[in-house]
Amino acid sequence: MSDRDQPEKDEDHILAGEYALGLLSSKDAAAFEARMVRDPDLRAAYAQWAADFAAMTEDIAPQTPPARVWQRLEAELFPDTRRPGWPRRLALWGGGLVAAVVLVLIVFLPDLVERGPVLPVDPPYVAQIAAEDGSLIVQAIYDDATGTLFVDREAGGAAPGRALELWLIAGEDAPVSLGVMPQDTQAILAVPDDLRGRVAGAVLAISDEPAGGSPTGAPTGEVLATGAVRDS
Amino acid sequence: MLTREDMEHDILRAANGDRAAFRALYDATAPKLLGVCLRVLHDRAEAEDVLQEIYVKIWHNAGRYSANGLSPMTWLITIARNSAVDRLRKRRRAGASDALDERIADGGAGPEAQAVAASERRRLDTCMEELPADRAEAVRRAYLDGETYADLAARFDVPLNTMRTWLRRSLLKLRECLSR
Repeated sequence: MSDRDQPEKDEDHILAGEYALGLLSSKDAAAFEARMVRDPDLRAAYAQWAADFAAMTEDIAPQTPPARVWQRLEAELFPDTRRPGWPRRLALWGGGLVAAVVLVLIVFLPDLVERGPVLPVDPPYVAQIAAEDGSLIVQAIYDDATGTLFVDREAGGAAPGRALELWLIAGEDAPVSLGVMPQDTQAILAVPDDLRGRVAGAVLAISDEPAGGSPTGAPTGEVLATGAVRDS
Repeated sequence: MLTREDMEHDILRAANGDRAAFRALYDATAPKLLGVCLRVLHDRAEAEDVLQEIYVKIWHNAGRYSANGLSPMTWLITIARNSAVDRLRKRRRAGASDALDERIADGGAGPEAQAVAASERRRLDTCMEELPADRAEAVRRAYLDGETYADLAARFDVPLNTMRTWLRRSLLKLRECLSR
């Protein structure tokens, strides 16, 4: 500011103070901001006022915000935070070799629809397929002798016009569809013969898909929930 | 409480998309900024709402922080104060003047009138005391209550141009004092 004369410097300090207090008209404030971009002395004058005026808040007592503020903030900034860690891996696999198309038959035995599926007695394997935030929870029970997968949707469901699709991820293999989850909360899915021996120790995942299921044979939507199949 | 270096580090990391650093910054600073919002707005729900806006701005502008020459706390408080004042002015324009009347009634003897220890504040107070009491009050009300030249002119019952001249002179005196 050495090349300016005093009245000019004074005027800039005053302007910077008025700007910091929000006293300038929007037109004058915009003009000041435009000047500030090119003029480091003006930026320094403003920075000085900002620090000086901020001192007026020094004795304002801190107030711990309720948890909902962070939750809303997180939902606004990072809408994907509720997603489990799987989607990236699944996307990689899905984008890679498309798995051999496996036709999966969802069996709705007419009498079971009437009185609901019957739980396998003493099933060898179980899995809890759950979203991290509990928004979707499906209990799965698997009998490898018959290839019967019993699913019980305890919480959550498909979004309107969308479907939940169940995937089997065995080892490093690409996800293989086990079919679209039925509307009913409880259902029995038949696992194809060639996959029967691969369910134990695998991961079951549920993705959000268009109605009718993934059109590509690989997960296309967000992976909502995952769970490992373990010995019961 | 985070040190200035910790905070700068967190802002820098947040600018690179580090959510954990952003969370750490939020945890360390949100209570203070909520206090500032409450002081300006006198309304808890509105203050929380503005607090959310503030951290959205912080997240999106973290990358530009290093260029502005402000200390991290000054930067955060300035964003908070400006956002709260914007909200307050919107509310006033919408004609909801109850909260404003309440503030006028409390006569400015808010928490900021209480004893203070911090040196920055003492330096500012010393210089504010060199101003005639009503002029210092006008500066305080502009900053903490977001009052405009029109608001202040009405409050002190002087023509708008007189108010403007007073305040500009006060700013010059303040700057001279603060630079001593």
